[in-house]
Amino acid sequence: MESSLRADLLDPAALASLGHIEVVARWIVDGFLSGLHRSPRKGFSVEFADFRPYQPGDDLRFVDWKIAARSDRWVVKQYEEETNLRATLVLDVSRSMAWRSAPTLITKRGYAEQLVAALALLLLRQRDAVGLIRFDDAVRTSVPPRARTTQWRRIVAALADPGGGRASDLATALSQAARLVTRRGMMVLVSDLLVDEGPVLAALRGLRAAGHDVVVLHVMDPAEREFQLAGEANFTDPESLLSVPASSADVRTAYGDTVTEVIAEWRQALSAMGASYELVVTDQPYAVPLRRALDARQRP
Amino acid sequence: MSFLAPFYLLLGAAAAVPLLLHLLRKRIATRVDFPAARYLARAEREHSRSLRLRNLLLMLLRVLLVLALALAAARPFVPSLGVGHGPSALAVVLDNSLSTTAVAGGTPVFSHLRAAARKLLRAATPGDRLWLVTADGRVRGGSSDVLLAEVARITPSEDAGDLPLAFRRAAAAVKGSALPSRMVAVATDGQATAWRFTARADVAAAVYVPGGAPPRNRAVLSLDAEPVRWTPRGTITARVDAADSVGYRFVIGSRTIARGTAARGEPLQVHVAPPERGWQALRIELEPDDYAADDVRWAAVWIGAPPAVTVDASAGTFVAAAVGSLIADGRAARGGDVAIVSADAASSLPALLLPPTDPVRLGAANRSLAKLGVPWRFGLADKSLNIARGDRMEGVEVSTRLRLTRAGTASSDTLATAGGEPWIVAGPGYVLTASALDPSATSFPVRASFVPWLADVLALRLGAPGADVSVPVVARPGAIVRLPAGADAIENASGGIRAVTGERIAAPAERGVWFVRRGSRRIGALVVNSPANESVLARESAERLGARLAGRTGMATSDQARWVRQAWSSGTSRPALGPLLIIALLLLAAETAALRSPRITAA
Repeated sequence: MESSLRADLLDPAALASLGHIEVVARWIVDGFLSGLHRSPRKGFSVEFADFRPYQPGDDLRFVDWKIAARSDRWVVKQYEEETNLRATLVLDVSRSMAWRSAPTLITKRGYAEQLVAALALLLLRQRDAVGLIRFDDAVRTSVPPRARTTQWRRIVAALADPGGGRASDLATALSQAARLVTRRGMMVLVSDLLVDEGPVLAALRGLRAAGHDVVVLHVMDPAEREFQLAGEANFTDPESLLSVPASSADVRTAYGDTVTEVIAEWRQALSAMGASYELVVTDQPYAVPLRRALDARQRP
Repeated sequence: MSFLAPFYLLLGAAAAVPLLLHLLRKRIATRVDFPAARYLARAEREHSRSLRLRNLLLMLLRVLLVLALALAAARPFVPSLGVGHGPSALAVVLDNSLSTTAVAGGTPVFSHLRAAARKLLRAATPGDRLWLVTADGRVRGGSSDVLLAEVARITPSEDAGDLPLAFRRAAAAVKGSALPSRMVAVATDGQATAWRFTARADVAAAVYVPGGAPPRNRAVLSLDAEPVRWTPRGTITARVDAADSVGYRFVIGSRTIARGTAARGEPLQVHVAPPERGWQALRIELEPDDYAADDVRWAAVWIGAPPAVTVDASAGTFVAAAVGSLIADGRAARGGDVAIVSADAASSLPALLLPPTDPVRLGAANRSLAKLGVPWRFGLADKSLNIARGDRMEGVEVSTRLRLTRAGTASSDTLATAGGEPWIVAGPGYVLTASALDPSATSFPVRASFVPWLADVLALRLGAPGADVSVPVVARPGAIVRLPAGADAIENASGGIRAVTGERIAAPAERGVWFVRRGSRRIGALVVNSPANESVLARESAERLGARLAGRTGMATSDQARWVRQAWSSGTSRPALGPLLIIALLLLAAETAALRSPRITAA
């Protein structure tokens, strides 16, 4: 696939309109993998486990040439990991996530779900165990981490679960996630982080203390990053109903400064506890957050 | 500061909009969902001082921007610094009315006014538009050099002029100019009787009135000669206005006929029977003072033998008695020049023709009228009571009359009417009455006005040579007058003759008596005098005059140099449109910069 047609590089909103989340997530992952020079599985599997069809990007060293010679099919030998990764994707589905600043954009939640689906598929293809936790003011969905081939369909189906759209209680959700995932693994938090920092950081510290790798994907609408709304209005948070009268022209600069500070504070706090932090803006192609998550995955 | 379009200043009220928006910001009704409102609140909290400062600055810049645009739309002119003036439309009203000939401080007032006008015109620049308007309302336009030459040529008028008209024309001239700076500069003696009007105050005016009090004046207010035809006796009556007694003399032609000292407020009256004959100029002269123009006043009389009258028995006793009193007074004589006779018995003209006493003679009377060339005929009798209308006919009743009907197209005058129909008519050589001059037909013969009326008819209408005697025409200099029919020239007292065409002419500008000529004969007189109110030299103050002419924008002074500065003051204003637009652009740029500024540090 040519890079210009890679789904992971397309506009997220345009991509979401092309098909169901499951289909789109496959395009994203396929595109993402085709963009890699080498297979991400290199070096972390040592014991043969199975064959699978060759995919572009797979290391040619793992192609079974004998089978290729016999049956004119290219298959790749797969190896069992010595230590399987257990990844839990923690998705914020609170009311604030269901917002977008313009009809041409995708909502933060839509973006996050697509990202979670793609990430889950990517990890499952690496034979990692992937689970899902959806939460707003309470945990709404919990899919325990598994590495089965049917796991991804469960995750995609869980993304369509009812619930959500209430206030966000991220600290509680993380605490519950810690209880649900007892083995060490990777926690990928996808949220707009419109919460009080203290309890959340405390919960994240708890996860780190339990040995989890923590990756935080901070989802933002472009208008939240740069305050691109126009005019004078009472700007109201639909969750907390906090209302701030302002003229966008007057406060745009100060707002931009404040958001920069907030991002820096999150990054610094998470970095201090050994967690990864990545800002994801909903008009960004999915390749960027996927790359960040994968980098965290490959960290020793 | 002045404005070309001051109503646009109302746009300045729009400056309240950013102010209100600033003050009412907390009452914004629009709600917009914005999940990151907590960041917004934090931004406002952390940057409250700089945001407040920035908002104030923005509000101030926007208010100033609106005000600058409203000011610019009103096309303001602001006084500029430095010397000189911009292009201006200036009309100079130079009062050259007769009253400006008064001498004050050893110099005629007009000399002050002319000097002031010169000074004003010398300060003009090539970009100015200039007009010069004199008291008669005549407008002259041109460059300053042309108008300076005009000022040098202008002399005081013999008349009061029409200064309100002159001012209106001056105002119209400057208002018609496209130049933004417009001014009417008035140099006047401020004579109160000449400035009894209030202008519309739609153009700026600067008024110069020389300082000091007007000179004490002695004036002849009126001169009357009665009757018009002296036979040869007559009476001269004059009124003199003087603060104390003053010497006077009456002159006929070039001969003094009476002199004396007039006491204050005392009317002068002289009865004379001069030897001169024909039309004569009559004048009264006072001892000269600082305002010589009204020290002499003129009148005209016709002096000659009284008309010789024959009264027929058919005229009745009242007519006979009236003629007898005129003869006794020397205003008529017995003779055959004029007949007063019943129409049926008349055989020649001139005659005062009465209706026949016997109705059966009506046909004979009409045949006689036809024979004499009189274009009127007697008709049916009318015995209804009517009131007569005409000169000296006030209160006269007519109870019996014969209806008069026209018979021909010859011109004639109707001297009186009764019941809306001609009652007494006149023409060349005849006066025809429709009623007998007897109390049984009309009350006219027993009225006091009857004898004077009869005297005038005999002296002016019928007396030989009747066609040469008419009431003198009295006019002010330059006025349009109607001369007696057939006039072809006028002749002044020194014998100078000026041909005229038509009956209506403009009276000469020079005061005095002008004899009206038909061929070589004098057939009347034109008396030209200045109006009596021109002798009242009391002045309006410069301030009141300025306020009357230009309202609050009126400027007035007794100082020539100051007047010149005031007159050009409108031209020292410069248009402020350009600078205001530049200021507006700068404010707009500052507003944009403030909006885009990453941070405005709080003080």
